This record gives sequence, structure tokens and C-alpha cells, in this order.
Amino acid sequence: MKSEMEYLTIALPKGKLFGLSARLLEKIGYTAEGLSDKSRKLIISNEEKKIRFIVSKTADVPTYVEYGAADIGVIGKDVLLETEKDVYELLDMGFGKCHLMMAVPKAEKRAKLMDYNHTRVATKFPHIAEKFFRQQGMQMEYIKLNGSIELGPIVGLSESIVDIVETGTTLRENDLEEIVSIQEATARLIANRVSFKLKFDRIHSLVEDLRKVLEAEAAQ
Amino acid sequence: MEKDRSLLKIPYGTRDFLPAEAAGKRVVETRLAELFAQWGYEEVVTPSIEYLDTLSLGGNRGIGNHLFKLFDKENKTVALRHEMTTPIARLVSTRLQDSPLPLKLSYISSVFRYEQAQAGRQCEFYQAGVELMGPGSPATDAEVVALAVSGLLRSGLTEFTVCLGQVEFLNGILNQYRLSEQEQADLKAAMERRNLVELNQLVEQLQLPENAKQVLKKLPLLNGGEELLKSAYDIALNEQSRRALDNLAEIYRLLKAYKVEQYVRFDLGIIRDFSYYTGMVFEVYAPGLGYPLCGGGRYDHLLADFGTACPATGFALGIERILLAIERQKLPMHSLPRDVYVGYAAGKETEAIEKAAQLREQGKSVELAVNSQTETAAKESQQQKNYAAFVYIS
Repeated sequence: MKSEMEYLTIALPKGKLFGLSARLLEKIGYTAEGLSDKSRKLIISNEEKKIRFIVSKTADVPTYVEYGAADIGVIGKDVLLETEKDVYELLDMGFGKCHLMMAVPKAEKRAKLMDYNHTRVATKFPHIAEKFFRQQGMQMEYIKLNGSIELGPIVGLSESIVDIVETGTTLRENDLEEIVSIQEATARLIANRVSFKLKFDRIHSLVEDLRKVLEAEAAQ
Repeated sequence: MEKDRSLLKIPYGTRDFLPAEAAGKRVVETRLAELFAQWGYEEVVTPSIEYLDTLSLGGNRGIGNHLFKLFDKENKTVALRHEMTTPIARLVSTRLQDSPLPLKLSYISSVFRYEQAQAGRQCEFYQAGVELMGPGSPATDAEVVALAVSGLLRSGLTEFTVCLGQVEFLNGILNQYRLSEQEQADLKAAMERRNLVELNQLVEQLQLPENAKQVLKKLPLLNGGEELLKSAYDIALNEQSRRALDNLAEIYRLLKAYKVEQYVRFDLGIIRDFSYYTGMVFEVYAPGLGYPLCGGGRYDHLLADFGTACPATGFALGIERILLAIERQKLPMHSLPRDVYVGYAAGKETEAIEKAAQLREQGKSVELAVNSQTETAAKESQQQKNYAAFVYIS
């Protein structure tokens, strides 16, 4: 256990957030030889600085952190909201900007949001979608899909979709139109609730260093 | 007919304790029961079910969703207790209201809460704890913190940290900037959700000078040793927070007398999940476990909700969490002693029964063979069952 306390374990998601997170962490001295999301090694260590990286599937990062298998992690706010894990949300890292929205086929657009009550919605984010529609006083049928959400209305699986959008290109290409924005999302630094207390000094200085780098970059 | 497989399952969030696990639980519970008694705490037992209204009184409003509820014969809603502090507060206010103070009570019980189940976080779980009703002095707070530390040490743990805070410190800071009730509630809710990003966003929206904003953003980060307490006076520009810091300093002075200060850190932004806390609060964390082992604090108004105003303080230790921390930290696992295996040859039953009785009389744990065996077979049984000694009656 003593050795466990010496190490700081960081969970990073594969995919687009990986490179941005790794680059930012490197700037404050948190890196390891061979750190890449293409690596076949799942744990990459820096013995000298007592850092370990876990590279995992995006949706699993909050799980690693909640259970304490990783002390901290980087994850999109969208995934964080969807999984509702009990973790510290320490820092808005600014990158990975996207927003969650509801879109419908342009040709069949209805007048009001309420006109979609009791219809089917295809989404990768059923929890967030349910919470949103509940706040609007709407009941929907949620169809959980794991990818190519835009396909839902095209093949008649659903009347609408709830999904994340970065540029809107995919929506346009599929003749879909955003009708309501649900949530803005960026990458967040999260921490296990016990690690944050037991390794407070180390995690706190990491957060402060990251904040400085982010502020300097924002100022440029 | 095919067997109904669903009969073989147990309900969500519950677990069985197999012999080795049950032994570990029993050892920890026995040690804690002894320790509480040594400190002058008397054990009480309350019903597993209480009226829903009792459990959701005062600071407990909002707990409803986490309770296991059922109806009694008169169709009143009853619920399985979700913690022991409220039932004991009810007990003290209604049954022990005339007893001389201070009252020092302890319990070892199962409690029930709807949780997303994971190891060490079941819907039914076991807690050992104490409640001290009497003067609202730092001495009583220091006593319960010291007892919690002793309890963890006695349970076999060596590596853990107590984070000590004071809810009045936080309240004082929020008051000093004249924040509205709604603003205070929002900031607290963000901290309770451990969402510092949201806290920062909320603070930025407030009409406050920059230095005040910095103080508010820093609240969850006030974590450190004795020096933190001293530096906290610089941001506590109000009587309420300063009194809270004085209170913590006095508790810490007494914890030094108990010689447990090496386990203690200050965490002034600590927020406990139950809103009935009114003063000192603490949580205990151990490496290898993703959630606290123990939590507690002062709750001066809860008894008044039941009609007998009396300051009180206490804590609850999670038994399964202690066992899990022992396992994860690779410390020796607890087991019950297995002293002697008594085997016997055919026709020697009576002598064997007498021998076993004699050894048990001496305080040994003895397993008597259920039928006659050869000496070799008996020896095998002894080894298989892990008994330290072997007696064979021939």
C-alpha cells in the first residue's frame, strides 16, 4: 500500500481527447515514455516521477476514477453527466468543446418541441436526454444506440436524435436540423473522492499548474 | 419440472457472508464492542424499521428516495433505517430524556439504503458507532474522533487519514459575503456534488469583489495540517467562522493529548451528505478504498426535532469497508481460532465427548468428529479443517 500511495494514476480516454490531454499534461511535467493511445500496453509508467497512465475506452474513464483504480482522469462533460459517477470535478480543461442537442429531419420538422412528446428518440445519452425531457414535462421513448445516431430518423427507427455536435457537418450531410440545445460540454479533470483527500497536495498542485498553462494559452 | 432459478438469487445490493467472511466481520465487531465498552459507552438496540416520518424528520428531508419503504397493518409507511443516528436520537428523546447527561451510547447494526451497489457499498450494510449526548464541548468532539481512530486501529488498520472540518466555518464564510439563501444553497449543492467547475462558475456570477470570489473558490481546497488552521483565520472575517476555527484548534489540542494527531488533517471544505450536522464533522479515508471508512460529527438540533433539545456528537464506522481496506492493504485477515480437533476410535464416543467438554471448559475451540475414524483419517480431517492441535482417543 505504501507504494500505492507514492504513485499518481491518471486515466486518459482513447480518441480525440487523448492527444490534447497528453499534450497539456506533458507541459506540466506529467508524461511517460511511449504514452500513446495506439500503444498495446494498457498501463504506461514513469517510475522516476511516480506516475502511471491508464489508457481506456472513453466511457470507462469515470468508472476507473470512481472506483479509485485511477486517482484522476480526463473526460468529456457529456460522458460525465451520462454516467453520473461520484467523483470530484476539478477543472474545466477548455478543449474538446461540443454540445449536446436534439435534432430532427429537416423535412419533417414540427412546430414546437412539445409536438415531439411521446415520440421515439435515438441517443447514446439516454440519462441526459431523459433528464432534459422530464424538465420539459415530456415523456419519450429512448432508443439507446452506440454509434451513427443520425441513422435513427433516416431508417425510421426514431423521430429525433439527441447527440453531441462539434461542427454540425454530420447533421447537414444527413438533412437533420438542431431544434434545441441541451448542454455545452468540454473536457474535465476528475478525481477520485478519496484520492483527492489522501493525495491532496499532489493533485492540488497539478490542478494549479494546469490552470496556469490553460490561462497562459487562453491569453495568447 | 424445471427449477425456478430466480429463487437462488438474493435481492439487489445484499450479500451473504461465507464462514471466513463472517469470521472477519465477527472479529471486528467483537473488538469494537469491547472498545466502546472500555470507553464507557453502553450498547443500545433499536428496531430495524421505523416510521418514515421519524426517519425523514428535520435535516433528513430528501432521504425518502434512498429508503426501503413498506406499509404496516394500518397502512402507515414504515422504512428500514438508513443510519443509526436518527433512531438513537428518537430513542433518547422519548425513552431516556430523564437520564443524567452525558449519555454515551453505542451500536452495531445493519442499515439499509438504496445505493448503486459495488464492493463495500451494498444496500444492506453494517455499521458500528457511538453517539454522545451532553455538553456541546470540544472535549466531547475530541473524544469521539479519538475513539473512531482507536476503533480503526483496534480493527487492525494502520494506514488511514481523518479529515476534520467544521460546518460553521463554511456557513460563516457564506454569510460574511451576505449571500442570499438561494445563492448559499447553490454553492453548497455544487460542493456537495464535488463539482468545483460548477462552483467556480456560480462564484463568477456573483456580484462580489475579486478577493471574495477567490476565497469562495478556494473553500473545497482548504486541506492541510495544523498550519492550514492558522492561515484560515486570514479569510475568516466573521465571528462565526473564527469561533469554528477556535473550536477546531481546541479539539486538535485534545487530540494531541489522546496521541492520535498524526492521523488527523484539516479539511475545511468538507461537506457531509447528511444536512443535520451543526459543528465539527469528519471523514476517514484509507488507501485502496474509493469511499470513506467512517463519518461523523456534531448534530445539535436533531434531538430538538424529537422534542428534547440536547447537543450531540458521534460517528459510524463501516464494518465491510474496514474489512475491505484490510484486504486491499494486504494486512493479515481476521479469523476465529480453531484450536483442537478431537477424533476417536470405534466405541470411544463417550470418552471423546468427555475430552471435548474438558477442552472447551479450558476455553479452547474444539471440533469433535461426528463418527469414529482411524487415527490417519482423523489427522487428515484436522489438517483439512485447519485445527492447530490434534487429539485422538483410542
